[in-house]
Amino acid sequence: MAATSSCTKLNEQVQDEILTTTGLTDKQIADGLIAPVYARLPDIFLHTNYFTLQEISTDEAILPYRGGTDWGDNGIYLNMHKHETISSDVNVKNTWTLITQVISRSVTAITSLKDNKDPSAPLYIAEARAMRAYYNMMSLDLFGIAFVKEDANAFSKIVRGTEAVEYIKNELLAVEPILDNTTGPGRLTKAGVWGLLARLYLNAAVYRDPYAASFTFAPGDMDKVIEYSDKIISSNQFALSADYFAIFGNVNHDNKELIFAVDQRSDLNGHNRMAYFSLSGDQYPLPAFPAANGTDGPAITPDFYASWTAANGATDPAAADPRFYKQNISIYTNPGDSCVTDFNVDRGILRGQQYGLLRVAGAFVKCSNGNFKVGKLFNLSRSNPNLPVDFTLAVDFSVVGSNYSTGYRVEKYEFSRASASGRNFGQADIIILRLADIYLMRAEAKLRKGDAAGALTDVNTVRTSRTAYAVKGTALPSITLDLLFRERGFELYWEMVRRTDMIRFGKYEGTWTEKSNTDKNKRVFPIPQTAIDGASNLPDFLKQNPGY
Amino acid sequence: MGLLFTICGLAASGKGISGKHFMSPPDQTITGRITDAASGNPLAGATIAVKNTKRTTSSAADGSFSISVPDDKAVLVISFVGYTGLQVALGGKTVVDIKMEAVASDLQQVVVVGYGTQNKKDITGAVKSLKAESFNRGIINSPEQLLQGKVAGVNVTSASGEPGGAQAITIRGPGGVRTGNTPLFVVDGVALDNSSTGGGGNPLNFINPQDIESIDVLKDASASAIYGTRGANGVILITTKRGKAGTSVMSYSGSLGVSNLARKIPVFSTADYKAQVVKAGGVLDDKGGSTDWQKEITRTAITQTHNLTLSGGANKLTYYASFGMQKQQGIIKFNDFNRYTGRFNVTQRFLEDRLTVEANLTATSTNGTRPPIQDVIGNALSNNPTYPARDASGNPAQYQNITNPLQSFTLDKEITKINRVLGNITGTLKLTKDLNYKMNFGVDYSTGTRDVQALPSLIPQRDGRLETYYTTNRNMLIENYLTYAHIFGDHNINALAGYSYQKTFLQGRNYSINKFPIGPVEPQYNPSYGQELTLVNNAPGGYAQTNELQSFFGRINYQYKNKYLATVNFRADGSTRFGGNNKYGYFPSFSLGWKITEEAFMKNSIFTNLKLRAGWGQTGNQEIPNKITQASYSSAVSAANSYPLSATGSYPAGLIYTRLANPDLQWEVSTQTNVGLDFGLLNGRLNGSIDVFNKNTNNILLYIPTADPIQPTDKFWSNLKEMNVNNKGLEIDLEYRSNKDKAFYYSIGGNLTFISNKVTNSPLTIIPSGSAQGSGLTSATVNGYINNQPIGTFFLKEWTGFDANGISTFRDIDKDGIVTDKDRITAGTALPNKLYSLNGSVGYKGFDLVVNFNGISGNKIYDNTANAYFYKLKISKGVNVTPEAVAYPNESVSNSAPVSTRYLKSGAYFRLNNVALGYNLNPSKLGVGRWVTALRLSLTAQNLFVITKYNGYDPEVNSDRAIENALSYGIDYLNYPKARSFIFGLNVSF
Repeated sequence: MAATSSCTKLNEQVQDEILTTTGLTDKQIADGLIAPVYARLPDIFLHTNYFTLQEISTDEAILPYRGGTDWGDNGIYLNMHKHETISSDVNVKNTWTLITQVISRSVTAITSLKDNKDPSAPLYIAEARAMRAYYNMMSLDLFGIAFVKEDANAFSKIVRGTEAVEYIKNELLAVEPILDNTTGPGRLTKAGVWGLLARLYLNAAVYRDPYAASFTFAPGDMDKVIEYSDKIISSNQFALSADYFAIFGNVNHDNKELIFAVDQRSDLNGHNRMAYFSLSGDQYPLPAFPAANGTDGPAITPDFYASWTAANGATDPAAADPRFYKQNISIYTNPGDSCVTDFNVDRGILRGQQYGLLRVAGAFVKCSNGNFKVGKLFNLSRSNPNLPVDFTLAVDFSVVGSNYSTGYRVEKYEFSRASASGRNFGQADIIILRLADIYLMRAEAKLRKGDAAGALTDVNTVRTSRTAYAVKGTALPSITLDLLFRERGFELYWEMVRRTDMIRFGKYEGTWTEKSNTDKNKRVFPIPQTAIDGASNLPDFLKQNPGY
Repeated sequence: MGLLFTICGLAASGKGISGKHFMSPPDQTITGRITDAASGNPLAGATIAVKNTKRTTSSAADGSFSISVPDDKAVLVISFVGYTGLQVALGGKTVVDIKMEAVASDLQQVVVVGYGTQNKKDITGAVKSLKAESFNRGIINSPEQLLQGKVAGVNVTSASGEPGGAQAITIRGPGGVRTGNTPLFVVDGVALDNSSTGGGGNPLNFINPQDIESIDVLKDASASAIYGTRGANGVILITTKRGKAGTSVMSYSGSLGVSNLARKIPVFSTADYKAQVVKAGGVLDDKGGSTDWQKEITRTAITQTHNLTLSGGANKLTYYASFGMQKQQGIIKFNDFNRYTGRFNVTQRFLEDRLTVEANLTATSTNGTRPPIQDVIGNALSNNPTYPARDASGNPAQYQNITNPLQSFTLDKEITKINRVLGNITGTLKLTKDLNYKMNFGVDYSTGTRDVQALPSLIPQRDGRLETYYTTNRNMLIENYLTYAHIFGDHNINALAGYSYQKTFLQGRNYSINKFPIGPVEPQYNPSYGQELTLVNNAPGGYAQTNELQSFFGRINYQYKNKYLATVNFRADGSTRFGGNNKYGYFPSFSLGWKITEEAFMKNSIFTNLKLRAGWGQTGNQEIPNKITQASYSSAVSAANSYPLSATGSYPAGLIYTRLANPDLQWEVSTQTNVGLDFGLLNGRLNGSIDVFNKNTNNILLYIPTADPIQPTDKFWSNLKEMNVNNKGLEIDLEYRSNKDKAFYYSIGGNLTFISNKVTNSPLTIIPSGSAQGSGLTSATVNGYINNQPIGTFFLKEWTGFDANGISTFRDIDKDGIVTDKDRITAGTALPNKLYSLNGSVGYKGFDLVVNFNGISGNKIYDNTANAYFYKLKISKGVNVTPEAVAYPNESVSNSAPVSTRYLKSGAYFRLNNVALGYNLNPSKLGVGRWVTALRLSLTAQNLFVITKYNGYDPEVNSDRAIENALSYGIDYLNYPKARSFIFGLNVSF
């Protein structure tokens, strides 16, 4: 009896977790270290994370408390739009958590790969450093700080302003020679780093002094923007896509316009949130999946729409600009075409009465010939069977303006054909850098240096390249900074660059629907309160940004 | 029990013999017999002394005694534990017949403490013992329900009316932030692991309440320190029944219970609904029916129990065996819970009674079926009542815009099957007259299977899915200890020293498969019909953990002159869960007692008992998650960790840190001081106790953000030395019992607890908990752990009414012109500051009646159900609501309902928990006396009424809305409604 009760050393026996990497080959370890550096990109580029911070805070997107029942979320989307975000905002916190986590993962990869014998290790180290610089650039843009950390066991050094810009630049320059040019667009390549450098120099004036009354764009910085844009354009590795919406299609991975993008695979990491969340709850874009619908999420503001009408005069934007809208359901122009075998949902900015698959008791209605019946949609899922899914221009935070169908919606990314619920199984790569952005960055740098003609050429190169549809892009006769800002909106709407653009162009303190706050402090987001609390025993290590 | 008393008894009788031996020559010999006044049974071991002399003797087994007295005027002083002392003037008599009245108090009651028993009169800690006859009556699933309202300082929240549902129990308030505030349960000497055994039910459901002899609650540290790192939340010791030598009893008890929904949530009736929709400016969608959806989902539920026990034994062998079943229907349709139990307890003595072996074995099978309860309740509350529930052919009607809960009943269910076996064997060997060696070996093993089945269907279109969760729990215990008891003159010493080793193994695995053909075969019976397996939808999961706890413990009880008591407890606990730098924790306790009534100056006082107790001790809470001291990598092909490195080919398994190492991690420490007074008055008929306690828990274990944001994980586990959770309070127990030997007898008792809780020195501004549920409420939190506030504090925007447009307004605390999270106020707590109960019994001849009331006050409830379902906008959209939603005529129909104090309600209640009327028939008069020894009929009403201002189903609420392990309190979200039950019972003994 006593023998069974001999003393134990009490070492914890872990049975369900691998605590070491013993038994893995160097290649497995190398791949296993670099993959996590990229792996959170789909989560960062989520509708509630980076999208909310970069778009809901601007004139491109507004998300009211839909019908008083949806997207209330304790007011965080209203506050985001009104520039009244506070330090306990969950979306800010989640974005912060992801960005700080991936910086740490990069540090882990960089330090752990040093001893790795796999031939790919040097390239992976370079990629991890470049990604760390990219994530730090994101952090600098959103929170005004970057983290310098080389030793996983030492504390980070928190840097701001010029010091941060220099750090990010030097890191990118250090690894640029080592990077490959064949591993894109899902991974960071030489061209990707050039694009990031161009973006860094373009915004350097803002990053150096984010609260400045006005920004002075140094010619030296602008020359660098031009230099790195030139490198990309002259590499001839990339091409502007004639089919604008193909850039955001399910099979966009090989689209030549993409320089750096989130490589989404439906069987691994893809989410369909970009395509799903703006659509109506009664829009079911996939005949194969009667549970895949929208959420009545954000709409564009009437102000942003006004920029389209202002640019196109009497012509409807859909008839003037191929980037505005692409019809895929033919019933709009051919009302007799109400029985279909298959279709893709319309793309671009969706206005007015919506048509789509009719759903009764969880199943799609079929025509007598067995095809799917397409017709006018109503807000059945909202117990509002008499309210048509008719997207109106007006959208605001009033009761009427918050109803389920207010505001023009955006379906820029294609609805994933693999998505049973609409939420997951995304297929489209999410754009981080593409060639049109490079042209427009080069145009902006030229313009800020006084080369209006060169700028206009670049802008028109982009505008006239979209030739795949009946409606084709036209050239602009002249260019100014305001027109260039507007042009960036037309080209890059909902691509998560708007907030950065608005700050750089001095428009972030402007006024638009439901937004009148002019506090410059709101250019930078608050550091989450939990992070401040966590560092509360280290005075001055992590200081809250001004205004929060 | 019994061993220590055997020693004490031997010592006492030895003393008696020696006293006789040295007696001076007799002047006159008095003989007599001492008997119990009520029963006439002889009393052995009573002390007979001659007043003003040193002459004493004690009574023999037949109650007889013989003593010499100096003269005719001698007075005999008779004393016996548990009986009122007597003085008998002889007045020349040489033969006396003495009848002693039992003291009504339970002073000689034996109380189970850790690793032994003690007489209640000798206890120095705060311990409450509850015998089976005092348990709550009715339909009982788990031991906590037996205790509710019975013990001061113990708060039992039966939050769910679901058969077998989880119970929350805390002793003297929650001490920590995370889960793991549950007391340690010890069944017949085997400390249980509180881990779930599978499904969402209470792991203690496996105990058949009818097998329980007594429940002892160790409340303060001086009592619970013997359980070291598991004592911080108090200890509940459960002792099961044993046979008695010389008897042979077979008894059957059976009951039939009828339960109904105790109270509905008052959503609008069809007529009111129609009027209100129009009034709110909505478009009335009238399908012409009139459906009471709550009625549709509920039923009159039948519960039957059958219990057969066999017990008895001869001198060397006693046994107790029972076989029980409880088949219980939930008041929500398609919800059933069945339990089958078997128990066999045996005691045998060997080697001239030097060796006693006890073996206990219980095996239980529980089987639960439940529909998707929250969905069903939510739909029943909100569905348009004009929609018929069934179509023309009687099938659940199909609707586009609402979900018919009857359809959920047919399509979705969860089946949980748990088998659990608990057995232990103890051997007690008498080494010398004073020294015993005891060994205890126990095994607790359970397996659980939970199937979550979603049937495929055409309308609504669903592919069908089966998820299966397997759990295995194994808990093995071995203990060796020595006990020593000796009396040296006025010094009485009891000592204990031992070693304990406990190992638990927990394992869980889950699998799923999608896409089943529509057909008669349920997926649970043959998962192979599933046609789709993808890594995204069907990735299997699992965990396994082994924990070891190695302990050394000791105790000394010391009594001087049977007046002054001292107890020292000590335990050293080592746990695999603790970090390498802190493997062992040391937990001491000290307590003192003073039996004031034993003092000479109290001889003629009104008190039959007066004892002052004071104790101090430290205990720990080792319920920290596994593995958190060790760093961990994960290597998995998952969305968050992997990424395509090339256009084609497989995805690499990403290597990431999932946890940082912290070898310093250890237990939470609770330090408690307790001062108590036990008293007995009115010849022992009125008994009570008052306890004052102060419990501080620090070294709080939290999952906190890292100081440097750039860490592999954004949070890590750390002990916060300075953070403190204080619980202090006052407990009063009082009971009056009339003389039970009279034809009419009664008792009245109750208890009252005042308790306050406070968090201090938290480094975090707020630790949020209690995430609100329901559309539009995502990310809003309800509770918070905030400095200088109690746990469970509601941290909310303060609702102040409506503006001119009928839109809700909230107080702008920081006066910055906007109402944000910064304007939240501390609006009360979910923890009650008063708990009270009232119990009474009345008996007359064969009849007896027992009532048990209990209540709490000072607490608030967040009515998340009303917040998510019952606001004006909903009725304008045709969603049914309660009158509460339209209470304000000036409220706009477009007003939204964010989380705020508007939905914070008082949680105070007073409940008639149970009433039981019994009648004992006289078998002889019925002519069955030859075969039947006892026959009893009873009628019990459970949850007969509850007085509360709360307007949800029931004020006992506790939806689990924890955020990152931080427990939430007092949130009601679609909680399972409570039943009102009437139970008819029959007991027959042969």
